Amino acid sequence: MTGEPPVCGSGHCITCGDDGIPMTVLRVDEVRGLALCASEEGERQTVEIALVEPVAAGERLLVHAGTAIAALDGAQAEVTR
Amino acid sequence: MKFVDEFRDAELGRVVAGEILSLVQPGRHYKLMEVCGGHTHSIYKYGVDDLLPANVELVHGPGCPVCVIPMGRVDDGIALAGIDGVIFTCFGDMLRVPGSRGSLLDAKAAGADVRMVYSPLDALRIAKQNPEREVIFFAIGFETTAPSTALTLKRVRAEGVRNFSCMCSHVTIVPPLRALLESPDLRLDGFIGPGHVSTVVGARPFEFIPADYGKPVVIAGFEPLDILQAIAMILRQLAAGTSAVENQYTRVVPYDGNRRALEVMADVFELRPHFEWRGLGFISHSGLRLSDAYADLDAERRFAVPGVRVADPKACQCGEVLKGVIKPWECKVFGTACTPERPIGTCMVSSEGACAAYYNFGRFAREREVV
Repeated sequence: MTGEPPVCGSGHCITCGDDGIPMTVLRVDEVRGLALCASEEGERQTVEIALVEPVAAGERLLVHAGTAIAALDGAQAEVTR
Repeated sequence: MKFVDEFRDAELGRVVAGEILSLVQPGRHYKLMEVCGGHTHSIYKYGVDDLLPANVELVHGPGCPVCVIPMGRVDDGIALAGIDGVIFTCFGDMLRVPGSRGSLLDAKAAGADVRMVYSPLDALRIAKQNPEREVIFFAIGFETTAPSTALTLKRVRAEGVRNFSCMCSHVTIVPPLRALLESPDLRLDGFIGPGHVSTVVGARPFEFIPADYGKPVVIAGFEPLDILQAIAMILRQLAAGTSAVENQYTRVVPYDGNRRALEVMADVFELRPHFEWRGLGFISHSGLRLSDAYADLDAERRFAVPGVRVADPKACQCGEVLKGVIKPWECKVFGTACTPERPIGTCMVSSEGACAAYYNFGRFAREREVV
């Protein structure tokens, strides 16, 4: 997204909020190291997957500033109570 | 997969709040710092502090990257944005941070091509769509965001894009924490550690806090139950007279961090000898710049940057707020001369800044208490 709104109007700033958005992988471009992902609200975003590869469609990722910083379905995630 | 909803359960929240109440000693005052701006935002948004006993005080830390950017750095960005042919890109909240002669938003109103992006990848896309223009990305953020910038710069190199560069203002979390712990005017009992920064760096870098200063650290997630549970874990350590790094946010934080992220950061960045933090002054080895291998993508080397140091406005007490020495409402311009609509200090700009978070979510509750 490259729109022109003057401020982070959502009450949340990507960097300051140390933001991590859970997103689901829709499609993977393995050659370019990118994945098309969708948030729970259905918003789509192209995401860097270099830090969490390999990923497959249907998996869930934690996305910060266009980069997946963690996989949400791995062994770590299962620790959640 | 459990990630969000379970951590907003009000009934469970009351159970943990009861546990917290059982762990505090009457007559002892507990001062805990939440390092991360995201935690500050959640605490105010969900009223976490209302569930705590009166003798457990939460102090807001320096973990909001917008809040720690000094005015001179904003002026440098505005100077770059004003260069003929440049498209200057940055995250939304940086647009409103006041420099000495206005903000990037003011520069945009005056004709500079300043655009908000949600990721460095967005900035790269703009560069590819505008091959005749120079596109500069103003990179800010802690270790959560730095890998994203690094990966984009590697992509720029791999794809042979020649009109993209980066003004790197990334910062690291450990040096300011050490500076705070050395500060004589702040006495803290423990730390709520940053969640997503730790997804990248792990919990291990915080071991110096218990080892050198004897204070507990609990890495925490961002939902209200995460924060309450982290507070209970800190209080449990204090009650037992121990100090260690614990990880409450195990669902995404590996103790040793993300190895690939650390590698890509080490490849693209190097530590600056010093970096200026708003309100905290110069802190050694606390900022990142592009390594020599990526010098050609460094906007500060590609273009002339003034690099002038500008003192913070006298009326603004962001420095004391960032250090946790005063509460937002104790600043003399809070809510009067300085508001989210017309901020003087950076803490009022970002929605995760302590002042803006308090202004937006806490102000009326406090007025109720006074009445």
